[in-house]
Amino acid sequence: MALLFDAITKYGAMTQVELAENTGLSSSTVSILVRRLVEEGTFTTTDTIRSGRRATLVSIARKVGIGVGLYIGRSQLSICVTDFSQTTLAYHDHPLPFGHKPDSTLIQALRLIHETIENIGASVEEISAIMVAMATPIDWKHQQIGVRGILPDWDDVDVVAHFAQSFHCPVFVDNDANCAAVAESKRGAGVDYPNFLYVQAGDGVGSAMFINGALYRGSMGLAGEIGHVQVDPFGDICVCGNRGCLDTVVNEQRLVSVLSITHGSLTLDDLIRRASDGDAGCRRVVSDAAVRVGTVIAQTCISMDPGCIIIGGALCEAGDVFMEPLRQSIARLLFPDAVEPILIISSPISSTSVALGAALSALELAPTGN
Amino acid sequence: MTALLEVQHLGLSFDYVDTLHDVSLTMHDHEVVAIVGDNGAGKSTLLKTIAGVHMPDTGRILVRGEETHISSIKVANALGITAIFQDVSFCMNLDIAANIFLGQEIASGITTRDDTAMHLKARKILSTLTSPLSAFRSMDGLSHGEMQTVAIARAMLNDPEIVLMDEPTASLSVIQTAQVLSYIKELRSQGKAILLVCHNLPDVFAVADRIAIMRHGKIVAIHQTHETTYEQVIAEIAGARHVNEEFVNNDTVPVPHKLIDRYN
Repeated sequence: MALLFDAITKYGAMTQVELAENTGLSSSTVSILVRRLVEEGTFTTTDTIRSGRRATLVSIARKVGIGVGLYIGRSQLSICVTDFSQTTLAYHDHPLPFGHKPDSTLIQALRLIHETIENIGASVEEISAIMVAMATPIDWKHQQIGVRGILPDWDDVDVVAHFAQSFHCPVFVDNDANCAAVAESKRGAGVDYPNFLYVQAGDGVGSAMFINGALYRGSMGLAGEIGHVQVDPFGDICVCGNRGCLDTVVNEQRLVSVLSITHGSLTLDDLIRRASDGDAGCRRVVSDAAVRVGTVIAQTCISMDPGCIIIGGALCEAGDVFMEPLRQSIARLLFPDAVEPILIISSPISSTSVALGAALSALELAPTGN
Repeated sequence: MTALLEVQHLGLSFDYVDTLHDVSLTMHDHEVVAIVGDNGAGKSTLLKTIAGVHMPDTGRILVRGEETHISSIKVANALGITAIFQDVSFCMNLDIAANIFLGQEIASGITTRDDTAMHLKARKILSTLTSPLSAFRSMDGLSHGEMQTVAIARAMLNDPEIVLMDEPTASLSVIQTAQVLSYIKELRSQGKAILLVCHNLPDVFAVADRIAIMRHGKIVAIHQTHETTYEQVIAEIAGARHVNEEFVNNDTVPVPHKLIDRYN
């Protein structure tokens, strides 16, 4: 049953024949299981035509409304749609150019929402709420960009109004790390921890704190922006206006620039891939970044005392090349004889967590009984 | 590091038109190079010349440092070059696996096809592309984007090192474009060199490492994607000259040499 469920979550609605093909189960087994899951209310079936023959289209039943999570990242646009049972109904990644323009990205996002909803056989009226996660600090109280200059083209764009105009449902905007932390708390590594620190390390660093089972946003929504903790008083000026922030040391441009003479032009993905493949120079850059991030995480942990630290973002995908030096640098700065050392876990859902978390928190914030 | 593909001073004329004029381009592994330009700039012709559809009149094509004469698509395939053309045709009455293997079917014995082996391989290729398509589905009824996926899967059959794509995202929906762009990134991370002819600049900027601008059969500029802007690329496609402030009121200063080289 889990096989069927996974197949439909991953690929969307499909016929029983396709289900059998995808799972490797016999068509009669699939047919029996589908009938049982329909009775339980997990699946619904509709008649369709495939290759000129009648077929049964199997999809996941939606319970009262769906949540849409949108992630506008530095170089990607992602969408995740879930229902109230927290099941992922659809997920798509759209690569975007670095420094993409708000006007075209917002139009693309609108089209993406409409197409995705249509694709799963739902209608836009079923959307209970939309959450837009953005790769910049967000002023949660006023639902706008919290620190100007980090996504310069977006500073004066009213993202909420843009979507609220097209959909008759509440629209929210939040920081990407906050959304990812919500995903971790419900579907990821944070399920068993009421207190955890989530750190998103990739092109820039962000974090989010879960305290007593709830996301802690602070008074404005800027809690956990550890990318702007100072690591070098004489470092570069940061886009936020301050000096020597962690983000000036751990960002895509900076990380690949130190390899430009020896390795030519690389992207962050190249750097991570080569580091995992054993390239000494790339490993060094990744592990040095881990030490810088680890130092700031350790300081945050002293103040917060979390049960575990969950690491997400592109750098965690480098595996032990990043995680080992990170663990060591954190351990060196925490209480050496702690009764229960803080666990450091890499996110099991890191590639999809931001949009997923956005969709889940959209539903959490949606007015109930809608 | 030897380049995977090196095109040197390629020239090709149809009747009196110089379709390609002194075109040079190199490509490495793990690299996406996009060619942009107006209609008739020679983008597709360049792609077809590398793919073995046209033979160049002048110039050389080097694959892994060795000079080659790509006289047909078969020769190109043998060199590890595969092209996905804009107008791919399929056998609509067959299933996806059969279309992927069209003309290159796996034989069992002398006269029979090994359908099981073909379906297994087709499934493997589709899953490395992270495509949800079932190899058993009939081509009939597939969307435009799904057909593009089959075309890409077909190109992957012989595990080419160099993949040429002509307008892979033209007339696709947003989700389908998202999928095709993700496939391109995936192929790049597998180490392939990808030459992409594409009209849509946001798509180009999203996946390309370098952007080559063609105009009237010539490459007028090649940029690292992160060092250029839409505005610059659009200006170069249109053939606009950059007006430098300090030259505006000074007729005696000649246009810099760099610009003359680029546009003449």
